[in-house]
Amino acid sequence: MSSDAVKKRKPKVIRNETGTPETKRGRAEGDQLSAVSSHVKFRKVRLRQVQVTYPAGPHLIGQRKLFTAKTQAVRVYNEEVELEARDPQQDYMLYKDTCAALAKLMAEIQELKAGGAKVGSVEIEERRTQCSVHFITLKKLNRLAHMRLKKGRDQTHEAKQRVDVLHLQLQNLLYEVMHLQKEIGKCLEFRSQHEEIELVSEEEFFQEAPAEISRPHVTRDDQHQLTLARLDWELEQRKRLAEQYKMSLARKEKIQKAIEQKREYLSSLQPGLQNIMQASLPVQEYLAIPFEHMQKQAEVSRHLPPPLYVLLVQAGAYGQACDKNLSVSISGDVDEAKALSRPPEDSQDDESDSDAEEEQQNTKRRRATVGVQLDDKRKEMLRRHPLSLCVDLKCKDGSILHLFFYYLMNLNILTVKTKVSTTTDLSGAVSAGELLNSESLLNCLYTSDHGKETPNPANRYQFDKVGITTFADYVSDLGHPYVWMQKLGGLQFSSDSALTGSALSASHMERTMKLLRGRLQARLALHKQFSSLEHSIIPVSSECQHLFPAKVVSGLMRWTMMSYQEFTELGFVQHVLKAGLVRETDLFFMAVVERGTARLLAAVVMNPRYPEVAPLFSLSLHWKGERSGRTDDNLQAMESEVNVFRSELQGPRPGLQLLTNQIQRLCVCLDVYLETESQVCDGSEGPKEFPREKMCLRTAR
Amino acid sequence: MGPVELLHMSVFSQSFSPCGRFLAAGNNYGEIAVFSLSAALSPDASQASQKPILNFTAHDGPVFSLLSTDTHLLSAGNGEISAWSWAELIKKSTKAAWTRKPSYETSLEIPEINAMIINPKDNSLIVGGGDNNIHIMDMETGIFKSVLKGHTDYIHCLCFKEREEEILSGGEDGAVRIWDSRTNRPVHCIEVFKYEECARPQFGKWISCLATDSDWMLCGGGPSLSLWHLRSMSPTSVFPLPGCQREAVFYQDLIMSVGEGPHVSHCLHGGTVKAQIPCTPSSLNTLALNLKNTEHRVMTVGGSSHQIDVFTNFSYRAFSLSF
Repeated sequence: MSSDAVKKRKPKVIRNETGTPETKRGRAEGDQLSAVSSHVKFRKVRLRQVQVTYPAGPHLIGQRKLFTAKTQAVRVYNEEVELEARDPQQDYMLYKDTCAALAKLMAEIQELKAGGAKVGSVEIEERRTQCSVHFITLKKLNRLAHMRLKKGRDQTHEAKQRVDVLHLQLQNLLYEVMHLQKEIGKCLEFRSQHEEIELVSEEEFFQEAPAEISRPHVTRDDQHQLTLARLDWELEQRKRLAEQYKMSLARKEKIQKAIEQKREYLSSLQPGLQNIMQASLPVQEYLAIPFEHMQKQAEVSRHLPPPLYVLLVQAGAYGQACDKNLSVSISGDVDEAKALSRPPEDSQDDESDSDAEEEQQNTKRRRATVGVQLDDKRKEMLRRHPLSLCVDLKCKDGSILHLFFYYLMNLNILTVKTKVSTTTDLSGAVSAGELLNSESLLNCLYTSDHGKETPNPANRYQFDKVGITTFADYVSDLGHPYVWMQKLGGLQFSSDSALTGSALSASHMERTMKLLRGRLQARLALHKQFSSLEHSIIPVSSECQHLFPAKVVSGLMRWTMMSYQEFTELGFVQHVLKAGLVRETDLFFMAVVERGTARLLAAVVMNPRYPEVAPLFSLSLHWKGERSGRTDDNLQAMESEVNVFRSELQGPRPGLQLLTNQIQRLCVCLDVYLETESQVCDGSEGPKEFPREKMCLRTAR
Repeated sequence: MGPVELLHMSVFSQSFSPCGRFLAAGNNYGEIAVFSLSAALSPDASQASQKPILNFTAHDGPVFSLLSTDTHLLSAGNGEISAWSWAELIKKSTKAAWTRKPSYETSLEIPEINAMIINPKDNSLIVGGGDNNIHIMDMETGIFKSVLKGHTDYIHCLCFKEREEEILSGGEDGAVRIWDSRTNRPVHCIEVFKYEECARPQFGKWISCLATDSDWMLCGGGPSLSLWHLRSMSPTSVFPLPGCQREAVFYQDLIMSVGEGPHVSHCLHGGTVKAQIPCTPSSLNTLALNLKNTEHRVMTVGGSSHQIDVFTNFSYRAFSLSF
């Protein structure tokens, strides 16, 4: 069978392409029309005469009628319907059978051909025809299979589409759900500003708010309403308070203005007052109330450093209360003091800073030597406050002791320089040169208070930094830092007492002033005594005459001053040195008493605290050999006479006659000794005197 | 007692307690110090044990003489005699048992009492002092029985001869008078300075120390220290000691004396000076031997210093007690 024959069987074929999905439905129909023409083209090739309907669209299932110009009813062969009716298993069996038959036929044909049959023989042609039929069956089966496949695919596809749609819907819904949830979340999280406002508590609210705002009947139940009501109330209150605030501000402004006015008025008064003060000055002087002066002093004293201030206050108080002859005044440069006090932290403790500054300066200028730098540092450390106090102690005889107190800022100690001014001219006493020397005038006012070393232990470290080994070198320049002075200024360096400040100063003031005055008087008296002693006159005042007999023959020949060195070299004073009764700060003198051939040398050790501490005498007699207090009992008796029984020789208070009385007594003793001694030996000396009982020891005559 | 006073202190008298364990010393300020010898001599003695256990002011003036009876310590200073019970003193109580004054003729000045001795036979106290007389006081009653007058100047020292019951007294006037204690009459008077071998006119004629040992008598002072035979009333040996001797004692076959000069002199009866032991004070006033107690057999000397030297072996100074 030829293919043409097959083709001829079906003159009008409606062929459809296997189409794409539903959206091409419209086109599909159009394709049907065009398919006719294409069929004509492909007639040779295509054997298929299929009408395929699209899976979607139920209206396409079933027979379709083709609309032609002629009302020709065309029977459409719908294989699809057929397809549903057939069973795939059967088709499969059919296929197998067909294949088998085909194979058999082929085999027969082969046999025949092999048997020599002719090519166009009837059996072969029959068999060929059968084969062709079988082939057609096979083709149909193939077609069916394809159709089944396609159908299956289409069904799957359709199902998938449905599923996709549903899936999409699901997802949309899910998105929406999520979105809504987020929105809900946001709504829930929403923090309204109203929550930041602090509201009064509910009870207060209900108590205070007027009923129209609080609306308790509503708000008690409804939280929302309650909150709203409370906010309302808050707002109301705030408005009210804002009003009040404005009013208060306005009042304040008014009052401020009033104050300003009054101030101006007062300041306008100031010049008037000044005039009055000026005018009253002469009145003040006349009435002896130094009001102005004290005010000025108070002004200046504000710039004093604290220890000087304490000293000023205490000394002034003491002077007013107890001692009319004490006066205090401030001297120095006030402006400098003001300049010092303005930058609050001066270079008092900022050593390192000032050093750094100095070093910077040094590098800016030419490189200064290390020594100069050190010098500068030292000067800085030893700087004095520009203000100083001057305390004047007047004595009855008109002499005045001037004490100038300085404050060393970095070292935090007070120093003093002294000056004595007397009414009478002090001269003519060579040995007394040391007495009123300002360096040593106040030595040892209290025991062992030399005033050579600084009493502030912290200074040791400061000195180490700038290489000062001893403060003593600078003492003559800066003044003596005595311990009693630190106490007067309220500076406490030892841990003895718990007082500081004014209490400390007050507790020491009286005693120190008395000591100072006593010291001055003693020194002045000594000065006078020395001047007459040097003229070989022992000045015995009339009050003390009774201590001595009327006639004293031995006389003082010489009175000189010695140094500590010379003293230690004397032979007859070793016992005193050994007993530790001599210190370098003491003053040493040598007195020579003579009578006839006998010479008595007396070495005198005077403690600066004369007359509280009596002078100590050591004797050595040159008369027919040399005897000293150590070797001769009589001389020892004389020594003890003068040293031990000194309380008798004190004379009238304050005992300033002690030294002269002691010397006089020595002369008397010498008299007695010589006379009694010589009585025994050769009786060449003067008249016998009655030896007082005191001299009659077992060993004396 | 400041350092100046200490420097000028002189010890004038000493006395050991009856038990021999304590030493009392009197100084020129009128103080009496009691030292504990047993503490100072014990092996673990320290600096503190050389200080007095008790120090009190007994008299106004210097304590020139101290004497111990069996129970009491008698001290004499400016004209009055005070008695202190040793038992009380050891317990550190300073209340005087009694204080008596011999009757003096003049009331202008109170003469000091320089020497006291006890007459054990009739329990009387013999004192001699600045009023040139010797007063005898009965210990039990306290009444001054008699006065022996004879000296023309004050009496320095007294001594008692037990066997003959005679009192020897030496004074400033250079005479050694011997009195009979029963009859209270002077028996002899020796003027030592009249004897050339003893006399030392450059020092004076005063006798400041006396000691007797049966027939022998030691006396010295201005004149040199000399040993006398009492029966013949003549000096047998004179000791060439440089200074004036103020106290001398017989000890076994030695004579020990102290005086001017910082040493104790050991002398033999023959008149030679055997040794001179140096000591701290520059001149010595008193020497005392503790013979009552065998354990603390020491010699103590005191003089013009605040230290009292103690000699355990009499040849050298062991240590010093100090006021």
